[in-house]
Amino acid sequence: MLRMIAVRLATSVVTLLLASFFVFFAVQALPGDVAEQLLGQNATPEAVAALRDTLDLDTNVWARYLNWIAAAFTGDFGTSLVSGEAVSSIVWTAFSHSLLIAVPAIVVGITLSLLIGILTGARRGTATDSGLSVLALVAMSIPEFVVATVLVLTLAIAIPVFPAVVLRGPDATVGDLLPAVVLPAATLVIAMAAYVIRAMRSSTVDGLTTEYATTAALKGVPRRRVLWRHVAPTAVLPVLPVISINVAWLFGGVVVVESVFNYPGLGTLMIESVSNRDLPVLQAIAVLSALVYVTVNLVADLLALVADPRQRTLHQRHRRRTPAQAPAPAQEVPR
Amino acid sequence: MTSAIDRRSLLAGALGGAAALGLAACGAPALSVPDRAATGTARGGGTMRIARPAASAAETLDPASSLSAYEYLGAIYNRVVRLDRNGETVPDLATDWSLNADATVWDFRLRSGVRFHDGRALTARDVRYTFQHILDPEVASPQAGTLSLIESIDAVDPTTVRFRLSTPNAEFPSLLTAYQCYVIPEDSADTIGSTGIGTGPFVLDSYTPAGAGAVRANEDYFDGRATLDRIEFFSIQDTSARVNALLSRQVDLLSQTNLDNPTARVVANSLGTTVATVPNAQWYTIPMLATSEEFADPLMRRAMKLAYDPQAVLATALQGTGTPGWDNPVPPQLSAFLEYEREYDPDQARAILKQLGREDFTTRIHTSAYEPNFTAIATAYAAQAAQAGIDLRITNEAADSYYTQIWMARPLMVSYWFTGRPVDQLLNQIFRSGSSYNESAWSNPQFDQLLDAARADTTEATRRQKYQDAQRLVIDDGAAMTPVFGDRLVGLSEDVVNYDEYGFEFDYLALGLTEG
Repeated sequence: MLRMIAVRLATSVVTLLLASFFVFFAVQALPGDVAEQLLGQNATPEAVAALRDTLDLDTNVWARYLNWIAAAFTGDFGTSLVSGEAVSSIVWTAFSHSLLIAVPAIVVGITLSLLIGILTGARRGTATDSGLSVLALVAMSIPEFVVATVLVLTLAIAIPVFPAVVLRGPDATVGDLLPAVVLPAATLVIAMAAYVIRAMRSSTVDGLTTEYATTAALKGVPRRRVLWRHVAPTAVLPVLPVISINVAWLFGGVVVVESVFNYPGLGTLMIESVSNRDLPVLQAIAVLSALVYVTVNLVADLLALVADPRQRTLHQRHRRRTPAQAPAPAQEVPR
Repeated sequence: MTSAIDRRSLLAGALGGAAALGLAACGAPALSVPDRAATGTARGGGTMRIARPAASAAETLDPASSLSAYEYLGAIYNRVVRLDRNGETVPDLATDWSLNADATVWDFRLRSGVRFHDGRALTARDVRYTFQHILDPEVASPQAGTLSLIESIDAVDPTTVRFRLSTPNAEFPSLLTAYQCYVIPEDSADTIGSTGIGTGPFVLDSYTPAGAGAVRANEDYFDGRATLDRIEFFSIQDTSARVNALLSRQVDLLSQTNLDNPTARVVANSLGTTVATVPNAQWYTIPMLATSEEFADPLMRRAMKLAYDPQAVLATALQGTGTPGWDNPVPPQLSAFLEYEREYDPDQARAILKQLGREDFTTRIHTSAYEPNFTAIATAYAAQAAQAGIDLRITNEAADSYYTQIWMARPLMVSYWFTGRPVDQLLNQIFRSGSSYNESAWSNPQFDQLLDAARADTTEATRRQKYQDAQRLVIDDGAAMTPVFGDRLVGLSEDVVNYDEYGFEFDYLALGLTEG
């Protein structure tokens, strides 16, 4: 198990490096650089030259990438080409704002979806099941910006309960943001729930037909207890990867949803940095997102190991068997 | 490069569809928007909240910079002179001005008793410094090119500034009305970007680039105290988010936002919000790159113009909210405007194409979601051109690199400017040979000579005649089409009174909120 974690960690470092590499050169391939993008219609040759000079954009691309890597290893992500502020503080602020939406969305969304999944699975074929399944499918097929817009129209404009947008941008305090978190979080729950519900439903259906579930039922265990004690805990396992992907997606800041609510999170920061070609900020966001994906997936795998003893033993047996099965070349060498 | 459907147009379409359904259901007439915002008595005081699109986190309060935070400038600074509604130069910090016989030396007399927000008195030295700052190559100000004719600036006495010009220019004062020319205190170049110390009707309270900020009324403003106590500015990048902020009454006014027609309907029909019109505020152009193989021939450009009717473009693309342009770049509200309607004759256009051996001429017309009306204008123009046998393929480009990759690079595209340039600057900056803003790369020595002659002419009437002759040349020979001037549809709360904006002028002094 320790070896597995070590291997996973090593792969993660490679993943992070690849992510930073691809983002760096993808941005280079985009038309226009930060100087031209900032100046727009005012991008006279003199103005662009002056700005490029200030921003040191004329250095060789590879040299710039290697410098960036070297600095990043020491924890220095540089300064934004646009605002001149430290990238790490900009990105952390945005990330913490995104967490403010993501954490409630995850806690509420995952719990609700798992419960609904178990419920519909247990009542397969009933009106509750088909009703909720259709609802989930509908929610899954509506793009999240439409959900966001509908929520704004109803709960911010028609019945003004929540703010439609965040006004203060990156300066907003947690107090400013709290009421503004509700609608984006609700949007994300709606967008995400369907996947988890459907996975959990089929997993529960499978669980209820297993031999141990049947045995328990024949033994006289009440149906409710069979469901919650015997079936549900095991049925969650195959759903964990689905959950982990959704969690990673949420932590990475959801671009479109944040933009509709003018929410100062990682997604909004990413749009701005792409359209301004603000490379240092984009690089940091890419590394952070990759880190989140890698970590969340690792945690999901570890959780599965903890929850399912079979996976642990499988591993060990496999390892023990290896030396026995391997041919012993040393003995075949004639002496 | 070509994007299928972007989120914004889909949303606008959805909103528009909903509004149209609503309208059809109650049989209401088409969009009618008041010509001018509500006027009336404002209650004293109050805080106005304005949502604006911030250029980027690199924005600054330095007015000379190409990255200035536009909305703040008019609230916290003054210029030496400004433009009135007809494009005439009128006093701001200067009370009057005079010139020598050949228009190479100009003296401006400043108001006395004007103070900066930090208490220092305004003197001629500050004005001198302001223009030295604009002309400093390191600042790379967009106005530096226009003002490069300034040879020297002297502070003759505390209230007199003297400009010496390298070439005569009888229209010189109008060049000082640009929004880069707001007066800053002497030696403030390093700090002005964040302090915003000016002489204007409002004093800076707080400011974050690409974030929120606020200004409060200047109690001893030389022209009387502002109606409002305070204005708060909020940056909202996404247009539909900005509209949502208005509809949910989180803000009172959307600045620099031209609502597309479907959105304007929604705003006009929603409770508590309305739409005001800034007439002819958007100058739409279709530059034909004169250096391109397609449009190098003036005859070809003539055919492209003859082929279309600007009134049809106005009616279909802008639903009539504007004025047909007839390829004259000078907006009709300016007193130097030339009344000249060129011919509309698709048959003649067809004949020219035949004469050139280009009967099956086809090319791309580039457009983008950069501005909500670009694609509508491209479509309307292409439909008109088709009647003369010109086949234009509409090509949608990414908005974020439209002005860096397509503009001045592709033979045919849709572009726009805000109107508000005085006539001399407009013609010199955007049509003169070799100017860095000459988007059609047109070059006509006769036109350049006319502009020089106009500048040297100190007689008002004959000078105006020369600017009008120059307009005629742009219309007949020029490489840029001006199909329409569009009204800007501005979303605002019904509580706002005395909102008044034209060109680059915004009346922050009278702007107020109604009682209650």
